[in-house]
Amino acid sequence: MQRSLPHRRGRRNFLPFWLILPTLVVLFAIQVYPALYTVWLSVQQREPSGWIFVGLKNFARLRNLSQFGESIGHTIIFLVGFTSLTMIAGFFVALLLNRNVRLSGFYITLLFIPWTIADLLAGMVFRLLVVPDYGLLSGILQNPAIFPPNGLSVLTAVPPRPWLGSFPFPPAPALVYLVLAATWRALPFVTLLLLAAMQTVPQEIIESSRIDGANGRQVIRHILVPLMLPTMVVALFSLTLSGMNGVGMIFSLTGGGPGSSTELLSYMLYVIGWNQLNFGRAAALALMIAVINWLLISGTLRVTRLEEKSR
Amino acid sequence: MRRIPTVSRKSWEHSLVNGALIVVCILAMLPIATTVLISFKRQEDITRKPPVIFPCDTSTQSFDASACRWAVEGYQRVLAPKPSETSPLGFALTGNMFRIYVPNTLLYATTSSLLVVLLAGMSGYAFSRYRFRGRGALMTGILAITGVPLLTNLLALYQMGVTLRKAHLPFYDDRIFIVIVYIGFFLPLSVWIAKGFFDAIPRELEEAALIDGCSPIGALMRIIMPLAMPGMAAVFLLTFVNVWNEFIAGYLLIARNDHKPVMFGLYEFLGQNIINLQVIAAACILIALPIVILFLFTRRTFFKAMVEGAVKG
Repeated sequence: MQRSLPHRRGRRNFLPFWLILPTLVVLFAIQVYPALYTVWLSVQQREPSGWIFVGLKNFARLRNLSQFGESIGHTIIFLVGFTSLTMIAGFFVALLLNRNVRLSGFYITLLFIPWTIADLLAGMVFRLLVVPDYGLLSGILQNPAIFPPNGLSVLTAVPPRPWLGSFPFPPAPALVYLVLAATWRALPFVTLLLLAAMQTVPQEIIESSRIDGANGRQVIRHILVPLMLPTMVVALFSLTLSGMNGVGMIFSLTGGGPGSSTELLSYMLYVIGWNQLNFGRAAALALMIAVINWLLISGTLRVTRLEEKSR
Repeated sequence: MRRIPTVSRKSWEHSLVNGALIVVCILAMLPIATTVLISFKRQEDITRKPPVIFPCDTSTQSFDASACRWAVEGYQRVLAPKPSETSPLGFALTGNMFRIYVPNTLLYATTSSLLVVLLAGMSGYAFSRYRFRGRGALMTGILAITGVPLLTNLLALYQMGVTLRKAHLPFYDDRIFIVIVYIGFFLPLSVWIAKGFFDAIPRELEEAALIDGCSPIGALMRIIMPLAMPGMAAVFLLTFVNVWNEFIAGYLLIARNDHKPVMFGLYEFLGQNIINLQVIAAACILIALPIVILFLFTRRTFFKAMVEGAVKG
């Protein structure tokens, strides 16, 4: 049991309150109040005379925008591609690093560098590779065999005709490229997280299962993955959260284009809010994103709590 | 397979793992390497069609190491050094990036990191050492907003910024606002990291000091703070890197261009240099380099804070 510091009984000790107060004030001003403000904004509309109450009209308008449905499609495709690619690649790199070869420390350091690079900057770095005509990969990718009919750059090739109704699948090449760039940047984070979880799996369990005749794939499937599941869920949620809200890379890599084929919900928020200056409607969209964020965050909390209890 | 002696099988496996890791590392480094490569090219090699990877071809050979045309033109155009008599180095950097945006970001990152360390240290200490009414609720509250992304609050923060700007407060400008915004967003995680570090310091040390007649504040300053320094350094570093790398808030919440941070500077560069790829690449390298170097020197602290933070938020 933890003991608290000796303090005189009868007289309340106010020191902890004073210590916490500044933090609470800042968090209220920057996190709580703006969140409530966004709720208020979402039912308002800006008129020359000032803000007027419009009820749920902003949400209804948003739903009727064809751009909105498309953007949801892009976001889903992006998130599915980004999270699955990052999780799978991260798992395999963590497996390799878990072998504890002599240079692991060196590899981890080197592999981790992309995570320290800002998302805007990572987008620019990836853009440099495929800038129409002059990028180093443009020569390979601007090939009529890859992007028919005229071999445009990844950044300008228009999306193919959707297979199912209006759901934007297959995605534009630029969206696939965005997935790759985002994966590149997020991979170290996931690798490190999964590696840390992998190292807590007792070696004896793996060895005894080996003796019982389990092969590598069975060890992964029946021992590693179940034991690492909580961390994998945390990693998955935090990737989804960052993919949902990370907008810097879209700014520098594609700017939402070509057309609106890489306009995820996060970028659409910027377009509606600051390009179209429709703050009410943008707030409605922000609120929808915030709800998804909340689900992800509370899911993460639940998983980590469960894990703490089971220890 | 079974007949192969285990020792050679082990070493064979090791070299396979090593090989795979080297491939992964090369793939991870490739975008950075190409950016470095581009940043040292000349304009005429950048705009060639089809693009060449190394600017080392001659009319007769496709690659000749002695004929490489490397240049620092990109860096020159980012930095724009001009001779100056007032500067102690004899020249001044006149490019906007290093004249305006980098100093701004240094200011924002340093002040917000220091204040985050102070606030997170105070509340992390209180949460770690005291049991008081509402402690659990407050901690859950802070945990709940840990990891809330900036994006959804931006509209409200923008409106708040506009209102504050119109109020014409003395001493107030967007710089104060953006620093507070950064503090507000990187504080919750830092409180958790700080609390974790304080939890790891044995209470007995502090109690002994109290028994010896030290005041609670004195014990905090003399006993706990020196021991908590590594944790506080981790909080500082993490916040510093986060603020340095942050784009969207700095872009939208600051009105005046000469108050904007370095990521805005890069974004502006992108629009200004559509085909001068060497200039963009040089700017990227110059802006990423300080953070990468900082990371290389402090990676242990970094990893610790990261894993701690990821598990919490």
